[in-house]
Amino acid sequence: MIHALEARHAPVVSLWVWYHVGGRNEVPGTTGMSHFLEHMLFKGTPSHPKGDLDRLLARYGAQWNAFTNEDVTCYFETIPKARYATALELEADRMRNALVSVEETEAERTVIVSEREGLENDPSFLLGEELQAVAFSRHPYGQGVIGSKDEIKLMSRDGLYAHYRRFYAPNNAYVVVAGDDDAERLADMAAAAFASLEPSKDLGEPPKAPEPPQRGERRILVRRAGGTLPLVMMAYHAPRASDPTAPSLTALAVALSGTSGGSDGASGRSSRLHRAIVEKGLATDVDASFRLTKDPNLFWVDATLRPEIAHADVEKALLAELDRIAQEPITEAEFARVRRQLMAATAFATDTVTWRAYRCGEILSTGAAGSIADWYDKLAAVTRDQITEAAAATFSERSRNVGWFVPEAAD
Amino acid sequence: MKLERRRLDNGLRIAVAPIADLRSTAVLLAVEAGAWFEPIGRAGVARLAAQTMLRGTRSKSASAFADAMDDLGAVARLDVGSHAAIFSAQCLRDDLGALLGLMAEVLRTPSLAPDDVEFVRGQTLAQLERDERDTRAVVDRVWRELVYPKLHPFHAPAIGDAAVVRAVTTDEIREYHQTAIRPDGAILVVAGAAPTDVVEQAAQRAFADWRVTAPRLVRKIPEAVLTATVRRTEVVPDKTQSDVLIGWPGMPRTDPRFVAARVTNMVYAADTFASRAGNVIRDQLGLAYYVFSGMGSSRGQSPWIVRMGVNPQNVNRAIEVALDELRKVTLGDIADDDLALAKDKLVGELDVALESPGGVASMVMEAELFDLGEDHFERYPRELRAVSKEQVVDTARTFLPPERHAAVVAGPPLPDIAA
Repeated sequence: MIHALEARHAPVVSLWVWYHVGGRNEVPGTTGMSHFLEHMLFKGTPSHPKGDLDRLLARYGAQWNAFTNEDVTCYFETIPKARYATALELEADRMRNALVSVEETEAERTVIVSEREGLENDPSFLLGEELQAVAFSRHPYGQGVIGSKDEIKLMSRDGLYAHYRRFYAPNNAYVVVAGDDDAERLADMAAAAFASLEPSKDLGEPPKAPEPPQRGERRILVRRAGGTLPLVMMAYHAPRASDPTAPSLTALAVALSGTSGGSDGASGRSSRLHRAIVEKGLATDVDASFRLTKDPNLFWVDATLRPEIAHADVEKALLAELDRIAQEPITEAEFARVRRQLMAATAFATDTVTWRAYRCGEILSTGAAGSIADWYDKLAAVTRDQITEAAAATFSERSRNVGWFVPEAAD
Repeated sequence: MKLERRRLDNGLRIAVAPIADLRSTAVLLAVEAGAWFEPIGRAGVARLAAQTMLRGTRSKSASAFADAMDDLGAVARLDVGSHAAIFSAQCLRDDLGALLGLMAEVLRTPSLAPDDVEFVRGQTLAQLERDERDTRAVVDRVWRELVYPKLHPFHAPAIGDAAVVRAVTTDEIREYHQTAIRPDGAILVVAGAAPTDVVEQAAQRAFADWRVTAPRLVRKIPEAVLTATVRRTEVVPDKTQSDVLIGWPGMPRTDPRFVAARVTNMVYAADTFASRAGNVIRDQLGLAYYVFSGMGSSRGQSPWIVRMGVNPQNVNRAIEVALDELRKVTLGDIADDDLALAKDKLVGELDVALESPGGVASMVMEAELFDLGEDHFERYPRELRAVSKEQVVDTARTFLPPERHAAVVAGPPLPDIAA
């Protein structure tokens, strides 16, 4: 499927290829396989040997990279528009012709272990990974994306290549392009580049592992010396992106913590949690987030505590705010600010060509809406009462998962 | 890129890059109030002042100011860098006047109340405590201590020194605000949906009667010189990966060799994928997930550093390989195609940066802040293209001598201590 958007304000094109494969498609023993494979897609094809891709795109000043999440693996290039055809040729080539050699698999394995070890240095990652695992008893979202270190070490070249041949094909991909040309022409060029590629005959059914309802709060503690500030995280089960309440949950997250994040900034300070937690001197930072995903996932609330503050005090304050927003509508003034922040954040993101294409791909690939404009309309239609209803439906003790990071003294 | 310049009577310079078809506008307002202008021995005062300024004005409490900013849906922050304190923001097209009004209040009439100073002090001390177990923050702090003399403005990171943060008084914050936050030397850059006449009128309303009220602090800056290799290993408990920082004191942005230095940086290590250090350390040897170098832009010797995230078992080898690759550059072992690639990439990135109003504003701000000339954007690609291999070698030998570097490792205990 191909979607093209015009973005005429800069002489660039941003090309994104979204594959419907991520952590959601993995089972124990192969966790991290989609992410590992993402790395291998930079190791060349018969037409473009290793290093060729790097140098070609670097020569054009391209901004380019890839990421893997629970639902998708995604590759993008933002390049001068004169080089659009080259980007298409490179992406079409690696969709079916990537070399996944034994030697390169071994060389990349230590890089991926290093990526994971870098994440492990961060207490938020450690707590978040464990809390996510606790929140899901059946659904693969509980496995995360990067995989366990032991499974990364055991990943085989043949397993990776089979995963590649199965999922990297035109019938399992979205191509989204935004740039300085007529949308029809951008789409036609993309269609021509990918048209002759062989589809996968082995896609099979989408993964089905519905998460059974949670019947009561689950709690974890992570005690480590690798951090000094205590953390409190809460994760509530929440619906998928295509659910009619997804726009309300997006607005709810803004009402709770604004759109920009980070207590150093001057924005989002009128939000409920900032006022109740940060302004009261309980925490340095607080955040609430709802992500658009294919399957039901989690609504996260987290706080980084000031050093002398007890976890229980912050948890109590957070719960009081979540209860309050679930019981009484936010004020008209708050609602006006939430709407303005949502609309502005949409404009800010789509005024950058790269993020316009990304936003479109995210909305399409998760089923949130049929276009950026459609998603914008859904956000604009959210009412005050719907925010309250979304909070009431989400913030229940039965579907709550709570994690504390407890810093310990070094040995 | 269309660029128009104006200047207010009080010295505030304005540069506007209107961009059609956008709904938003990016704003950067730089005031010469970075670490370079901080009082000697008072590292952290500039950031404390900036953060306190964001906590309300004479006419708006912290709460009312927060409401006013979020009423616009704008995003904004005030960061203290090595040279300037930069107020960066983005707003919808029709909100520029209101946003500049709020920015002006913050800069000109902040309340700077004792309670707000205490709040910011508490936040900052908590962040300093967190930084003590953050390997990236530890290497940055220790590396600065090794390379810059104690009285140098870059000796401490912008967050400052914990002892200073504990001791700062409200009066000191107010005095700093009065001497450092001023229109002379300030630059407003606006890129995006707002046309030039709208920007000019809004800037006039917000800043025209902003006046200098105190003499500027003039600070004597000692030179940073590395006379020999220095290495330090810091154990940060319960970590998996080591952060590695290798670096040298760099050059001012106004140095005529700076353009050649950018090419040198790209040839050597600026990009994990396109530069030689990343190619060998990550791609060939699998020793690190990321390897990159960066050089700061300031009036002084900003850090020129290489960063890597490495398993403790591989730290010594990764450092050796990084220095070996640098040695090759200093010996002129640079393929013609590698040099051409570095220049192509730096020139190509100029076009790609036009994709966002923030990217345009950043490029314009650098040019204005360091007086790079009205024709900078025409000259700069040509200057990059003209850099020769000899200039790259000479820059590397002068500024990045492999035999005289400062390296810091922070993370788990190393199996074989590097120094």
